[in-house]
Amino acid sequence: MPSKSHKKFSLSTDTWAVLLSLALALLIRLGLLKTVAW
Amino acid sequence: MSISSALPDLRESYPPHAPGSDPQQSTSLLGLVPGILLLFVVGYAGKFVEHFLNTYTKAHHIVFPNIEYVLWAIVFGILIANTIGLPKIFRPGVATYEFWLKAGIILLGARFLLGDILKLSGISLVLVAIAFTLSIAFMTWLGHAFKLSPKLTTLLAVGSSVCGVSAIIATQGAIEADEEDTSTAIAAILALGAVSLFTFPLIGHALHLSDHAYGIWAGLAVDNTAEATAAGALYSDIAGKYAVLAKTCRNALIGFVVLFYAVQWAKQGLASAKANQQLQNKAAFLWKKFPKFVLGFLLISLVATLGTLDPKLYPHLAGLVPFGFTKPQVLALGNLSRWAFLLTFAGVGLRTNLRDLFKQGARPFIVGALGEVVIAAITLALVYGADRLYKL
Repeated sequence: MPSKSHKKFSLSTDTWAVLLSLALALLIRLGLLKTVAW
Repeated sequence: MSISSALPDLRESYPPHAPGSDPQQSTSLLGLVPGILLLFVVGYAGKFVEHFLNTYTKAHHIVFPNIEYVLWAIVFGILIANTIGLPKIFRPGVATYEFWLKAGIILLGARFLLGDILKLSGISLVLVAIAFTLSIAFMTWLGHAFKLSPKLTTLLAVGSSVCGVSAIIATQGAIEADEEDTSTAIAAILALGAVSLFTFPLIGHALHLSDHAYGIWAGLAVDNTAEATAAGALYSDIAGKYAVLAKTCRNALIGFVVLFYAVQWAKQGLASAKANQQLQNKAAFLWKKFPKFVLGFLLISLVATLGTLDPKLYPHLAGLVPFGFTKPQVLALGNLSRWAFLLTFAGVGLRTNLRDLFKQGARPFIVGALGEVVIAAITLALVYGADRLYKL
């Protein structure tokens, strides 16, 4: 019988990338991150 | 000890998907830090060398071509990975380069207006469809001619005509390909991707291709997204932008291609029980395979487009304009995207295993290489024609 294990909360790379990018975009949109040098 | 025995096996150490998509990989966030720092150091070294050489040669009136940081970062990465090798502590973090690639693509959406995306995506999708049909047919014929197994032939065809490693991984599950065929196909695609980094810009310059035409060609012809982005950026910033757009169009089609092959194999009774079950709901199958970062890219582009709307021309949308990004915000997002790509390019170099060029056996490599040359020629002719007709 397969052992019971906690189902890990995991998101795909794609989803993490979307979340991070949207969070950064929001910071910029709200003016909390004003300039990013290159 | 010989150099080759000291080298890490990059195919095992560098899964094609960063942590999160690989269920077997469970690295803590802290464990990613050394590798991410290394990506930054290698990428920044590339940026520093480009800046230093430009300043030095200008100050001393030396004629020297501008070599983009992209190339330096990749070369430094290749040198490290193929000489001293990477200690284990860096590997999980270095494998996140695909994550940075996707974040970079999403943020790059701010530099595209939705109208441009729709226009270029339309053209790109038509070119992708034509190139895809021709290249699948050619690769299948080539695989038969070289007596490769049908599954290896399928993986090579999908990898070289659609979107590289991601397509191979997605197809592997659908057609129940064995590990060896999958590793061989991935190695061939990655090795050929590394070659394209150095050949595509040379061909583009030799043919005097415009930034737009070259970018779309690189996006349509170079298989792996990271290499396609790098090959575009090596030509110019604008070419890199268009390479990403064309490549994203190809990526968006991945679900349809995998579905096509899954149905073909199921019809022949060769699909696994799991694949057969998944095929019961084709819409869910397509959604599962659809690269979600494309949606992030479109969303960011939509917000950027709102900021550019002229209320006089679009009075019914005037209320939405304040929600869009301002010009300085678009600039900041574009720069964030560049930083994300900087880490990606370092990762491309650190992931490139020169041994794979020789290790995988001659036949799959020859089939892959011949296929790549023909696909590159077909897409070049298509882009050239589309450039004449539609002024890309």
